[in-house]
Amino acid sequence: MTIAGYEFRLEKRMALRSWEAALISLLAIVFALVLFSLIFILAGINPLSAYQEIFSYAFANQFGLPLTINRFIFLLLCTSAFIIPYRAGLWNIGMMGQLFFGMLGAFAVLLAFGAKESIHTQLPAALVIPLMLAAAALGGALLGAIAGFLKGKFNINEIVVTMILNFVASWIVAHMIKEGGPFMNPGGRGESFEIPPSAYAPLIAGTPFTILLALGIAVLLYFLFARTRIGYEIKAHGLSPAAARYAGISSLGIPLLVFILGGAIAGLAGYHYFAAVPGVYKIARNYGYFGDLAFYGIICGLISQGNPLAAIPVTLLFGGLSVGGRFVQGKLHMNFGVDYALLGVLMISLVAFQFFYRYKIAWTKISKESPDVGVSG
Amino acid sequence: MQTKLLEGIDRGQTVLEARGITKRFPGVVANDAIDFEIKVGEIHAILGENGAGKTTLMNILFGLYQPDEGAIYIGGQAVQFRSPLDAIDLGIGMVHQNRKLVPAHTVIENIILGHPRAGRVLNLRRTGAEIQELCEKYGFNLDLKAKVWQLSEGEKQVVEILKALYRGAKVLILDEPTSALAPPETKKLLASIEAMARDELAIVPFITHKLPIVLAVSDRVTVLRRGKVTARLQTEHVTEKSLAKEMVGREVIFRLERAKVEAGNPILRVENLTARSDKGFQALNGISFSVREGEILGIAGISGNGQHELAEVLAGLRKVEGGKVFFADQEITNASTLKRWQMGMGYIPAERVDVGSIGDFSLVENVTMNYYFDRKICRQGLVDYGQVRKLTEEITSEYGVAVPGPDTKAKNLSGGNLQKLILARVLSRQPRLIIANLPTQGLDVGATEFVQNKLMEAKKERAAVLLISEDLDEVLSLSDWVAPIYEGEFMGMIPGEGVDRESVGAMMAGSRPEVEI
Repeated sequence: MTIAGYEFRLEKRMALRSWEAALISLLAIVFALVLFSLIFILAGINPLSAYQEIFSYAFANQFGLPLTINRFIFLLLCTSAFIIPYRAGLWNIGMMGQLFFGMLGAFAVLLAFGAKESIHTQLPAALVIPLMLAAAALGGALLGAIAGFLKGKFNINEIVVTMILNFVASWIVAHMIKEGGPFMNPGGRGESFEIPPSAYAPLIAGTPFTILLALGIAVLLYFLFARTRIGYEIKAHGLSPAAARYAGISSLGIPLLVFILGGAIAGLAGYHYFAAVPGVYKIARNYGYFGDLAFYGIICGLISQGNPLAAIPVTLLFGGLSVGGRFVQGKLHMNFGVDYALLGVLMISLVAFQFFYRYKIAWTKISKESPDVGVSG
Repeated sequence: MQTKLLEGIDRGQTVLEARGITKRFPGVVANDAIDFEIKVGEIHAILGENGAGKTTLMNILFGLYQPDEGAIYIGGQAVQFRSPLDAIDLGIGMVHQNRKLVPAHTVIENIILGHPRAGRVLNLRRTGAEIQELCEKYGFNLDLKAKVWQLSEGEKQVVEILKALYRGAKVLILDEPTSALAPPETKKLLASIEAMARDELAIVPFITHKLPIVLAVSDRVTVLRRGKVTARLQTEHVTEKSLAKEMVGREVIFRLERAKVEAGNPILRVENLTARSDKGFQALNGISFSVREGEILGIAGISGNGQHELAEVLAGLRKVEGGKVFFADQEITNASTLKRWQMGMGYIPAERVDVGSIGDFSLVENVTMNYYFDRKICRQGLVDYGQVRKLTEEITSEYGVAVPGPDTKAKNLSGGNLQKLILARVLSRQPRLIIANLPTQGLDVGATEFVQNKLMEAKKERAAVLLISEDLDEVLSLSDWVAPIYEGEFMGMIPGEGVDRESVGAMMAGSRPEVEI
């Protein structure tokens, strides 16, 4: 293509530096915001003030910021749960079911300690909270292991299995909290019993301690892939299962392992949202909404290209925009779901810009004197 | 119809001409001002090592690439190919080394696929008759109603040739036409090529490795080295040695010095082994043999006779159906692949791109494939990549793997360099047993010589080597014992020295010797 005396063409990138990847992602975000401002303009709203509202509510408001952080923790855990199988070449579409199983595990511990009887039950927090975490991880891992085993042993498609298990888990939750279900609220409002304050997760400056868990897991995963033998085996299996088998890497063990790890981390996301976020502390009636939100773990994982550290800014942005979008919709009386629309445009833009991970635009000035060699290109 | 361009050109006149072709890729000049011409009725071989620029030149002649400089002339007129379709319309046909056929379809269906006369309703009867005519003319013997997956490699190649001819090709470009063929198939193909040339077709086979074939059939040879034409020769004036020298740029030794090593204890012992192929057919029919320290056992066979399954069974990648396998004196019939590596097995697989390496991994990570479990490299679950990097640098320089650095991705390596890397990685473990499956397939003369020397060196260091090869000359020159394999059975076990080439060839084709030696 020729514009104003310059010839532009696409060239394949030989290597992508991490600052280039970051710059491309940043451009994609700016592009998405510019694109979405058209929608604000069509709705008769000044896009600049709309964005100001969104970002200031999400990141600088005393009510908005805690919401953002809680969603960030949730999304980061879900993203990590997606990334581990992803690096092994496998798709975990089952964070929803795994986090529900984690949630059920945590509440089962509470039930065993008699928390259902009364909200005033005094529970030994130092014992109960670690047990809840362990049960949550175990619950998620259990559901994940089914998919991993079926994949490794019989090569049954893991996408289908994890998807189906989402429905299974969803209905099991419905059964547990319905009238007469084991976790039912004594008031019978289609919710679970409430967690006694004595078992509330500790807060650090108003933020659940699970933030340390989520960030710690992201860092650990980065280390796992960069340095360890297990990480190497997962990566090798992900890039070429046949070559991994040749090298002696177990084609049953790796799928099983990554789904157990992924499931366990998704289980912790279930603990986080239903047992650690202030103001929730129960399996609320809208638990399905968070099941849906878990799917953003897939998108964030893909945008971060399977890099557990890159997932941190990505999930923070997605968490913030989902909170800010919902807020601005109410404030400006817009009649459509700004949060999901904005996330959707952002997602498409980020994915489209990944084209530039593989190609770059190069240009040369066309000089008039150069002989025409008669090659069409 | 542009095909008319070819009409009115008599035998011996130039039909296709390329002048000053230059093609650059990032970092390399693949073709540097190449002049090349082909005449009606001649067989014009192009010779060159991997990466010399043969494939690039042919892809330009076939319209897959556009040259950066230079032009192509057909019958004296300049032409420009925007895509292979233009080249096909002008009567140029290409038979690629990687078959581009639909396995589930019949021969006729494959040939007619994409043919402009196929139309909406297929007239398979008429087409069949026309193709049959072509077959008879050039001596191809082929069941046109057979499904392509049932065919041998040689037959698939014939299908590709027929496809090009049926499409009206007058200039036929054959990419390493004999590389996957057994000796008898090669002979038949060469006879057909000669028949086609008599029939005023111009044929360009390009061949890296098999110099005798160049000498046997071609009229002229153009030799390429590093993108430049280094020689244009009449075949009658050249010898194998002089050709190799032009191609490699130095003298090449053809006969390997067979190292004298006192064979020791058996390292690999196989008893009555049976196994099935991927499709469930019986691939191995009760094979027994042993390989001792300091000994090379060569398994010679035409592709698809069970040697591939044998290699996989021994590497722990395929299930054993019956029989036993011992390593030293330990039974490993059902041992995992990892266990075998740890015991001192080294496996060089035939599929160097899909199995032997990981394209998106750097060279360091590729070397890690055979070391991630090794205590020298991996302690407390942590891989010491610094040490692997040092090892990678050492072995790439020792083996002369031409790469910018250890962080290069394996997919950027040429076939020869990749094979050197795999060989270097496996041999650097100093394995007691080496299983080498088609270690020199598709490599050029220089790289082949190198790989064969390394296997001989390993034997000198008292490794037991199981060599699987379709190249009879390679098996005969390297092996202490030769076992021709046919339909999953050994046809005999013959000492490698002083063996009669013809009789081994006959055994590969299924005849048992009268007296077992």
